[in-house]
Amino acid sequence: MIAKNILAILLLAPLLFLQPAAAVAAEQPETVCIQCHGSMPDRLGAPVNLWRGSVHAENGISCNGCHGGDPKDAANAMSPQRGFLGAPKEKDIPAFCGRCHPGVYKDYLASAHGRALGAGGPTCVTCHQNHQVMKASLALINEKSCTRCHSFERARAIRDAMSGTEARIVGISGRIEKFQVSGVDTEKMGKALFAVRNRFHTLFHDVDVNRVKSESAAINKELDKLDQALKVIDDEHARRRVVGGIAVAAALLLAFLFHAMKKTYD
Amino acid sequence: MLNRLYRWLDLRYGIGEIAEKELTGYLLPRNINEWYSLGSVLLVIFAIQVATGMLLMIYYVPDADKAFKSVSFIMNEVPFGWFIRLCHAVGSNMMVAVLLLHMLSTLMMGSYKAPRELNWVTGFTLFALVQGISLTGYLAPWSQLSFWATTVATNSVSAIPVLGPTLVEFLRGGKLVGPATLGRFFALHAAVLPVVIAALIGAHLFFLKRTGVSAPPFGRDETANPFEAREYHYQGHPGGIPFFPNYALQDLSSISIYFAVFLAVVFFWPNMPFTPDAFVPADPFKTPAHIKPEWYFLANYQTLKIFPSELLGLSVQAAAMTFLALLPFIDRSPERHPLKRPLFLTLVIAGILLWIALSVWGHLS
Repeated sequence: MIAKNILAILLLAPLLFLQPAAAVAAEQPETVCIQCHGSMPDRLGAPVNLWRGSVHAENGISCNGCHGGDPKDAANAMSPQRGFLGAPKEKDIPAFCGRCHPGVYKDYLASAHGRALGAGGPTCVTCHQNHQVMKASLALINEKSCTRCHSFERARAIRDAMSGTEARIVGISGRIEKFQVSGVDTEKMGKALFAVRNRFHTLFHDVDVNRVKSESAAINKELDKLDQALKVIDDEHARRRVVGGIAVAAALLLAFLFHAMKKTYD
Repeated sequence: MLNRLYRWLDLRYGIGEIAEKELTGYLLPRNINEWYSLGSVLLVIFAIQVATGMLLMIYYVPDADKAFKSVSFIMNEVPFGWFIRLCHAVGSNMMVAVLLLHMLSTLMMGSYKAPRELNWVTGFTLFALVQGISLTGYLAPWSQLSFWATTVATNSVSAIPVLGPTLVEFLRGGKLVGPATLGRFFALHAAVLPVVIAALIGAHLFFLKRTGVSAPPFGRDETANPFEAREYHYQGHPGGIPFFPNYALQDLSSISIYFAVFLAVVFFWPNMPFTPDAFVPADPFKTPAHIKPEWYFLANYQTLKIFPSELLGLSVQAAAMTFLALLPFIDRSPERHPLKRPLFLTLVIAGILLWIALSVWGHLS
C-alpha cells in the first residue's frame, strides 16, 4: 500500500510543477468536521456556513484549530483522546481564544470588559462573533453592538481617538507595500510598522479613554517617523523622474540633431 | 594635437586607408532605410548589457543564501545601483524586442536570401542565445519569480523522451531547482553565453562584410535578386552613399531614439521587467499563485499548455523554430519585395498575429 502511495506521489508530483497556478488555486481538502456538519440541519450545521465567512476560514483555520479533535478521521473526530475539546463554557471563552491570541487575551483581562468576566461582562464572541469570527477593527466599535450592554458615549470617544491613527497606519502600510514591490528595501520600515500596529491593537481592548488618547498620540509620533522615512524615498523618486525627463529629452534632441545633420548630406 | 596623433598612427598603421575603406569609402545602397540601423542599435544594447553586467558583478553574490540580499543591496545601498540594475533588466527586454524588429525587417526585405543564408542562421542563433541569456539571468536575483519561473522552464525539458529527466537534472544540478542551479545558470549567464554571443556577433558581421549589404527591395522596378554561385562576389553599391558620415548619422539618430525609449522605461516605468514576486525571496515551499514567464516566452508557455501533451507542444515549437532557422534554404525564390510574395506575406502576418494571440492568451490564462 505504502509503495503504491509513493508511486502515485512520484507520478503525480511533476503535475504540480507543470501547472503551479492550478495547484495553488485548488482548495484545501475539507475536514471531516465540515463534511458531516455541513450537511446537518439547524444548530449542528449552522456553524459551518458562519465559519465560511470568518477571518479564520480566510486564513485556513478550520474547526479543529479551536475545537481540537482529528479532522481526518470521521469515526474519532470528536474523541477526547484525539484532543477534542468541544465548545467552551461562557466564562472559559477568553482562555479558549487566548490559546492562539495570548497578547489580546492579556489586554482583555486587564480591561474593564475582562474584569467583568463571569459577572455579566462580554467575552470575545460578544463582539467578534463565535463562528463567523470578525477581524479586530474599529468597525466593531459601533453603536448597535456597544449599546447592547452600555451607552455608546465612551466607546464613541475611544473610536474617534483611534480612527485617525488607524487610517494613518493603513495609508503607511499601503505606501510601504507599493515601495516593496518596486525593489525598495522596506524590511526595517515594515518591522517598525508591525510593532506600531501591534501597539495600536493593544488599545482595542482598552476602555480607558485617557489612556487610549495618550497612547494614540505616542503611536502617531512613531508614525510620523515612518512618514518622514517614506517622504525621503518619495522625494528621491521624484528627483529621479526629473533627471529621467531631462535624459529622455536630451536623447530625443540628439536624435533630431543627428537626423537634421544627416539631411544635410543627402 | 589631433592631427599629430592621426599622423603618428597613420604612418605606423595606415589608419587613413582603413578609414577610407571601412568608413568614408564604404558605400551603401542609395535607397537604404532606417531599419538597417537596428543592427547598430543591437550592438549598443549588447555593450550596455556587458558593461552593466560587469558593474553588477561587483556586488552581486551568486549564492542562494546571499543572492537576494545582494540584489536588494545593489538596489538600495550602492550609489546608482538601482540605475545599473534597472538598465540591465530593462536592457534585456529591449534587446529581445529590438532583435525581433531586426529579424522582422530582414524577413520583410528578403535580406536572408542567398547569398546571405549564414547571416540569417547566425542572427537566428543569436536570437535563441539572447533568450537563453535572459532566462539564465532571470534566476540570478533568487526571488520567488526567479525560482518558480526557472522551475517551470526547466521542467518543460522533461517532456523530451528518454533523455528528458536526465537533462532536467543536468540543467538543475539536482532533482529540484536549488543552489546548484544558481551556480550553473550564473556561469552560463556571465561567462559562457556572453562569449558565445560575442563570437557569433563577430561571425554575423564577418558574413555581412563578405557578402556586402543587401539593397532594400523598395523603390526599385527590379526587385528580384538572383544569386548564381559560380565564384565569390562582393555585392558593392557603386554610386551609393558613404557609411560615414551619411549612414553613421542615421545609426546615431536611431541609437538616440532607442536611448529615449530605454531611459523612459528605466525612469518612468521601472517595474516593467518585474512582478511583485520579483521582490520576495525564493521560497521552494511556497508556489506563487500566478507565476508567468517573461513576455517573449508567453507564446511558448501557452503553446505548451494548449497541447494535450508537453512533448507535442515542444515538438511543434521545435518544428517552427527549425523552419525559421532554415528559412533561407527553404524559400529560394529570388524575389524580395514582400508585395510580390503574397503567400510569404500572408504567412508572416498570420505568424505575427498567432504569436501575439498566444502571448496575450498566455498572459491572461
